[in-house]
Amino acid sequence: MENGGYVGGTNPAGKKVIAELRGVSKRFGDVLAASELNLSIGEGEFLSFLGPSGCGKTTALRMLAGFEAPSEGDVLLDGEVVNTLDAHHRPVNMVFQQYALFPHMTVAQNIGYGLRQRRPRLPRAQIAEKVGKALDVVQLGGFESRRIWEMSGGQQQRVALARAIINEPKLLLLDEPMAALDRKLRKEMQIELQDLQRQLGITFVLVTHDQEEALSMSDRICIMRDGRIVQIGSPQQLYDRPNSRYVADFVGTSNFFDGKISDRSGELATVALDNGMSVQGKPGADLSVGQEVCISVRPEQMKLHHRHAGVDVEVHNRIFLGEHTEYLVSHETLGDFLVLSPRQSELAEGPFNVGDKATVTWEPSAALILDRN
Amino acid sequence: MRLYTICVYLFLYIPIGVIALFSFNAGRHASQLQGFSTKWYGKALNNPFVMDALETSLMVAFASALCASVFGTMAAVALQGIKGPVRAVFDLLIYVAVMIPGIVIGIATLIGLVTVFDQLNPLIAAIWPGGFEPPKLRMGMGSLIAAHTMFLMALVVIIVRARLAGMDRALTEASSDLYATPMGTFRQVTLPMIFPAILAGFLLSFTFSFDDFIIAFFVAGSETTLPIYVFSSIRRGVTPEINAIGTMVLGVSLLMLITAQLLLQRGGKKSR
Repeated sequence: MENGGYVGGTNPAGKKVIAELRGVSKRFGDVLAASELNLSIGEGEFLSFLGPSGCGKTTALRMLAGFEAPSEGDVLLDGEVVNTLDAHHRPVNMVFQQYALFPHMTVAQNIGYGLRQRRPRLPRAQIAEKVGKALDVVQLGGFESRRIWEMSGGQQQRVALARAIINEPKLLLLDEPMAALDRKLRKEMQIELQDLQRQLGITFVLVTHDQEEALSMSDRICIMRDGRIVQIGSPQQLYDRPNSRYVADFVGTSNFFDGKISDRSGELATVALDNGMSVQGKPGADLSVGQEVCISVRPEQMKLHHRHAGVDVEVHNRIFLGEHTEYLVSHETLGDFLVLSPRQSELAEGPFNVGDKATVTWEPSAALILDRN
Repeated sequence: MRLYTICVYLFLYIPIGVIALFSFNAGRHASQLQGFSTKWYGKALNNPFVMDALETSLMVAFASALCASVFGTMAAVALQGIKGPVRAVFDLLIYVAVMIPGIVIGIATLIGLVTVFDQLNPLIAAIWPGGFEPPKLRMGMGSLIAAHTMFLMALVVIIVRARLAGMDRALTEASSDLYATPMGTFRQVTLPMIFPAILAGFLLSFTFSFDDFIIAFFVAGSETTLPIYVFSSIRRGVTPEINAIGTMVLGVSLLMLITAQLLLQRGGKKSR
């Protein structure tokens, strides 16, 4: 998968490597849950594993936490191989999906749990002071003696967060931490998590299936599929230069047209689409003539015109979104696709109504030629 | 259908109700109500044979319930950690142990222990230093406790296993993630969470041991437990005193069963 130079298997320059996966695979019986993962995580970085359920992202996280040992390869923390080091020996803490707060303990007892395991023992007063500070950080000051079941979902999440960060871990692992929250609360927590990460300087590793969550919070995103890493990069890199149809489809929305490469010379390549049309595009990976590919064009890269040379379409649906208008247009042989039209061009061109004939154009450089998978 | 149901319940509970009712009988005949009195309770509690038997019963019940709770919990936690066919075999054996009729456990334990004791006693006598009377292994309190512990343990395992299975695995993982050693996790997380189930198992075990007649009858040796005392005195006719003893045993048993049930329900709710 090392292609195009922007798979980004290594950590961005200048950051100390805090954790590393080297050729890590994990088998559960006959099932290969993770396959040859290579990744290094820099100090203070916010990295997300993004992918659908069953893609191996949680397995990767659990190997970092120490709940699973890799079947092959090495897991490194701070330069040391920790493949079989038990979770309780690792300077790593985790925020669990359902928080896994201890129901028989108060909020303060939950948060102080990690500190109470230290040997030699810490003085009680010191633990209480640190717990108080951690509660302040997550804005739950004064909730010390509350019971877990008296707290709302959002508050429970903050307790789980405080319980982890109080130990000042080298890595904070977050396993779908927002999954149990409602949409509005999720937005708030995303912003808070980012603030917290900057404030504490702890390295965050997040697992999520929510692309919006990953895009809005991460420095880098690691896209996974069927146990493999498909692409690693910053949110912008993944959005602008996906290395496969899978990534283009998973990160943001895109229109895809299948075809074969007919000419490949210079910056742009020519693709003969399955419907007979011939279009130019920018190769997003190493591709050869005759290869079956697809062209990916983002809806906002497409322009809709009343009278202009281009792809002839008919407007099927129109959704006004304020600053943008989303059109679902239909072409005789290409099928349906989306065009996102900014308000300004809308004003210049005049409105398009359902049933109108129109033409669509895009810059060749905006059409990425990608592997079909 | 409804009438049939009512009949079944009446058939079940009328004899028990009658025993409780007649225990307050002022007269000395078990079939004739002659006014209200608690004198038979007083008589039963002042009977040295009854008190002796009660003491034996309580000691056996407490000791066997305690052993069963400790060993049963250990077994349940260990079983939770293993998977596959090994676990299936153990599970099966435990359910079988609960279902085996008391009479089989009684006879088997009796024969087993007597055989072992017969082999061991000469050995002990041979190695015992001269001048002292060598101790002799025989049926009694020890064999009673051992036999009861054996079948009660299976009960505790089942109760504690149910609780462990209902516990979120993420809780023990979280504890381990927060630097607790496996022993620390057991002490600080697992044990407090399964404690209601262990206590319920203890109370149920106590009740079962306290009420047991069949197994005790075979392995008690010269000891007399309360059910054995009741059985032997019934041969001399049912007196209101026996009714009073029966009612007291019933009261204690019910109290423990209800407590156990409450513990299991409350514990179950909290873990969610």
